[in-house]
Parts: sequence; C-alpha cells; structure tokens
Amino acid sequence: MSFDPAPSFDIDVVLARGQLEFPVRVAGGGGITALVGPSGQGKTSTLDAVAGLLRPLSGHIAVGGTVLFDAARGIDLPPERRAAGYVFQDLRLFPHLSVADNLLFGWRQAAPERRTLALDEVAGFLDIAPLLARRPHTLSGGEAQRVAIGRALLSGPRFLLMDEPLTALDPARREGVIALIARIRDAFALPVLLVSHQQDEVARLADAVVEI
Amino acid sequence: MLLSAQEWGVVALSAKVSGVAILGVLPLAFALAFALARGRFRGRVLLDALVHLPLVLPPVVIGWMLLVAFAPAGPIGAWLWRLFGVTLLFRWTGAALAAAIMALPLMVRAIRLSLEAVDPRLEQAARTLGAGPWATFWRVTLPLCAPGIVAGAVLGFARSLGEFGATITFVSNIPGETQTLPLAIYAALQVPGSDATVLRLAGVAVLLSVLALVASELLARRQGGKGAHVL
Amino acid sequence: MGRVVLRLLALCCLVAAALLPATAPAAENPAGRGPLVLAAASLQESMNAAADRWAALGHPRPVLSFAASSALARQIEAHAPADLFVSADEDWMDDVARAGLVAPRTRARLVTNALVIVAPAGSTLRLYPAPGFALMQALAGGKLAMGDPAAVPAGRYGKAALERLGVWNQVQGQVARAENVRAALALVAHGAAPLGVVYATDARAEPGVKVVGVFPAGSHAPITYPVARLTSSTHPDAEKFRRFLLSAEGKAIFRRFGFVAH
Repeated sequence: MSFDPAPSFDIDVVLARGQLEFPVRVAGGGGITALVGPSGQGKTSTLDAVAGLLRPLSGHIAVGGTVLFDAARGIDLPPERRAAGYVFQDLRLFPHLSVADNLLFGWRQAAPERRTLALDEVAGFLDIAPLLARRPHTLSGGEAQRVAIGRALLSGPRFLLMDEPLTALDPARREGVIALIARIRDAFALPVLLVSHQQDEVARLADAVVEI
Repeated sequence: MLLSAQEWGVVALSAKVSGVAILGVLPLAFALAFALARGRFRGRVLLDALVHLPLVLPPVVIGWMLLVAFAPAGPIGAWLWRLFGVTLLFRWTGAALAAAIMALPLMVRAIRLSLEAVDPRLEQAARTLGAGPWATFWRVTLPLCAPGIVAGAVLGFARSLGEFGATITFVSNIPGETQTLPLAIYAALQVPGSDATVLRLAGVAVLLSVLALVASELLARRQGGKGAHVL
Repeated sequence: MGRVVLRLLALCCLVAAALLPATAPAAENPAGRGPLVLAAASLQESMNAAADRWAALGHPRPVLSFAASSALARQIEAHAPADLFVSADEDWMDDVARAGLVAPRTRARLVTNALVIVAPAGSTLRLYPAPGFALMQALAGGKLAMGDPAAVPAGRYGKAALERLGVWNQVQGQVARAENVRAALALVAHGAAPLGVVYATDARAEPGVKVVGVFPAGSHAPITYPVARLTSSTHPDAEKFRRFLLSAEGKAIFRRFGFVAH
C-alpha cells in the first residue's frame, strides 16, 4: 500500500435534513474510509457536504489538510473548486454525451497540471475502451458504473467519494468492482470516502470504518 | 404551388418578419424561462403573469399599446428616435416586434417546461467535475433543453406567421413593408371574387407551418438522441 | 444561478442593439415610392384602380394601406408618418382633425355611398324601402345579414334606416350580425341569408348578389368618405395625388365602382 498515512478526511459538521439536525464526525486515516450505518442516517448527505453540494449548519471539512468548509472562518469552496471525484449512487452520466465525452467532461475542465491521467489509460484500466463511442443509455449497469468511476478519476480529483458503488451490481460484478476500488487506492494514492451498507465487503476493503 | 410575384413577395416578407422576430426574441424568451423555472425572487408570479399577457389580451390591444409606446411622441418611440434616428411605425421591424411579443408567451412556456425537465442532479454532477455555474449551463443545461428551445422557437415562428391583430393595429397594412400573409389574406377577403388568392395564400401559410414543425422534429431527434421529441 | 440570468439578459441587450440599426432604416420615401395613403378597407378596389391610373400617368405608384378607419386614425394620432387619409366616415376624420393632424384646407368629401338591400343573384324579388315596407315577409323566416349595428358603420346606418322606416322592431330578431360589411355580403352571396343590407359599392363588387332595393337618401345620415392630407406628409406627390382623386378623372374611377361622386 502506497497511500499517504497522514489524516485524509477531517470532518466535523452538523448537517440538516428536513427538520432533523445530526452531527457527523469522521477522522479517517489514509486509504479507504467506509461510512456504514442504517439508511436514513445521512451517509449520502455527508458525501454531498464534502463535495460542496450540501451546506452544513456548522463545523468544518478538510481533506488532506486542505480546508473545504469552515463555518467559523467563513470558508465554503464551491463544488468545482473542491476537486472531489464523486461517484454517485445513481451514477448521473450525461445522457446527451457519448461515453468518451462523459469520461472527458471533468478532464476538460481541469487545469493542465491536474490532468495526470489519459483517456486511454483509464479506459484500459477500467476495461471500457470498446464503449467509448456509445451513449450512456445503451450501457449495462456494470458498464455504466465503471464509466462513472472513470469520469471521476479523469477529472483530476484529490480524493474520491463513492456512494454505494456495489449495490446495483450482481455478485460477480461486485467482486470485480471491489478489486477495482482496491487497485484505484493503490495505483493513484487517492483517499476514498465510501458509503456502503454491505458490511462484509466493506470489512474487506476499508482501512477505517466509521459508523454513523 | 403557383404564386404571383406579388404573392411571393408577401411570403418572403412573412418569413423575414417571423424569422427576425423569433431570432431576436429567443434570448429574451430563454432568460425569462430561466428566471421563471429556476429563480426564487419576489415578483416571480407577477413576471409570470406579465409574460402571459399577450396570450390573454386581444391582439389589437397589444397592437394599440405598441402604437402608443413606439409613437414618435411615445415613451419608447421618442427615445429610439433621439438616440438612433429610427422608428418602428409602418416598418417591417415594427411588424417583427409585434410578432415577437405575440410569440413570446408560447416560447417561454415551451422553454420553461424543458428547463424544468432538466435533472438538477446532472448539474450537480457537472459542478463536482470542476465545471463552474456558467460552464455547467453551457455544457449540460443548455444541451439538455435544446429540444425544448427548438420547439419553442418553432411554435413561436408558427404563431408569428399567423399574427394579424397586433400587426395591422401597430404598423398598418403596407404592401412590401408590413403586409404579411394574414394581412394579405385579410385584404383579399375584402375583395369579392378573390377566393383563389385567399386559398393560395392560406395554403402557403399551412405549408410553411407544417414544414417548420417537421424540420424541428427532425432537428430535435438529431440533437437530443433517443427519446427527444418536440411534439 | 442568478449570474446566468444576468449574463443572458446582457446577451439579449447585445442582440437587440445589433438588430436595431441593421433592421430599422428610417428611410424617408425611398426613391421611386409614391406617397403613403391610409385608406378605409372598403375602398380597396377603387383606390387601387385610382393608384394604377395615377401610375399610368407617369408618377410613382402611391403605397396604399387598407385597414379599418379606426385603426388608421389611431396610427395617425400616434404620429405615424403618412401622407393622405381616406376615412369611411366623418367621425374618425373629425378625430384626426381635432388632434391637429389634418393639413389646413385639405379636407374634402371624396365620394358618398348608398345603402341597398341585396339578395342572391338569381332572385326575382323587388323591394321599395318605404315606411312599413314588407321586409319581414320578404325574409320568409330567413336571416337579414348586416354589419353589427353596435360596431360596424354599415350596420349602424342600416339600423337607423330600418328604424326610420318603422320595420326594425319586426326584423331585429332575425338580424345576422356580421363582423364587417363584406362578411354580411358573403352571407348573402353564399346563400346563408336571403337578404342583406350593404353599401351599393359592395353589391356592385360581388357578382353573387343583386340589388333588390335602395334605401332613400333621407332614411339615414349621409354616408360620406372624406379625404385629407396629413400634417406629417413629406412626399412631394401627396397633394398632387389628393387633387387627382378629387378631379373629374379621379371621381369617374370611383363612380365605376358604384360610389356617388359629383
């Protein structure tokens, strides 16, 4: 394992969902930090808050020493400046773009020095090279999942957020994606915050588990 | 269809008036649709009602309001004359303005519906991928609602081809300048025994509308991929 | 997203600014164009004939705009730049004159019109409109087509005449109110109504109808068409064309279409 052993995710916030307020505290090491717990406890909200899509009521969020949000200091970076590689549970591939244009969407937005990966490289790594000319609606669930992961990787992220990356997959595919996530961690040295309710798989993958 | 040179002139003028009207008003229609679909500001309901006025008021009332506003002594007309030395009265540009205003509500409605159908989760995804609000707008929102924009423009074009009341009230019925298809048909209807002319001109109006609708349907299919339909 | 709206609005302004000078030339009477004449829609055939004759005499053909007198009068009162106004009644010309928009000593009576009863062309009916005449029987249960008395001048004149002759109360339940006099004419020409009240000029223009009776001049106010030059007129031919319309040659053209002109 070649990840940075320095603390990666430093999250201490209060989130609002509807009328409810609930505190979330995550102090991850490097590598993969898994958020587990029953549904409805704000696991996805936590990822949204880290990505900048949901504004916490108070507290602070830092990743790898970079402060993304700090209510006390008035810091709130917009999503596009957080460099989060967010793999959504519902994938959210762009229906009007080909697979290649989906993959390159974030890459084209990124500053040149952050374009550390090339399309060929990622397509080969994820085994999606034959799909590049297709539209998202023609993909199978597993194919779409890998395209979504590729899109996040190519955007030059400083960390990955993965929301239930295994649920939509059949058991065989699931094994493949678990292996893939482990390889991403090792190959790209990216801290990963992963939400899952599949306890056993999480146990095999995660370097740290946080219960919410 | 065999038209006389004069009738061809009417058709060409109609196409020019409607084309300029729609292209000119499209950005405004989009901005209004965007504000109504996404904006959360005070007066939104009022703006909505204002945009729909041309749909509910008799066209002659719109024509009369334009006449009063754009008269050389009117609030807008005086200003246009002083700053640019132009007047819209009795000009084809005035006919285009009338057509644009009458088409506006239909265009705003169509574009607004398509904007509301754009999944905000896709826009969030674009933001996390490094696209700022403006880039997200150009690369996600706009392409996703393009079929709606085309549909709105075509509806507006068809509506403005048929615009009569506001035009004749605002810019009169001047052959070669403001006499569009409906005005030429009206003029022909005033002359007994001109049924053939009326039929030919009406036929052209039908043909133009159908062509526009078919063209937009094809365009939308090509742009939007599967499942994108204008009608 | 507010920023997006603002930028779009800025784009609108740019488009409008780009279109404005490109599409709105304020050209004054482009070469070869005749004076702009605003005329009541009912004068369409006769004014076109007069304009053709004027053009045949070697002048640029006047530009004619036909619409309801009321619409034209409002355009003039908005200071739309036109040369001549020919109204279908005195009221709208009065209105324009009160606004100070008629050039001094240029208002004149161009022609007058008569009010007639028409039937489909094959009819053998003959009516003599006089007090208490047998209009009701002639209708035989059918409709009497005329312009809406509340809004259309021809309908107003027709109602006044029928009232004066004492038959309005009998027939008013059978009046088909048309949106304009030419629509009333079409109802008779196409057999939808056995009889109609229209102008003599309308009856002359429509081969599908024939005149079966003429209202005496005293049964309604005179039906007159005034012409005037407008103060906004700048075309050098405007006054010459106005005089041509009022000349013996001009009036002969209008008589050809059924108008009365002395």
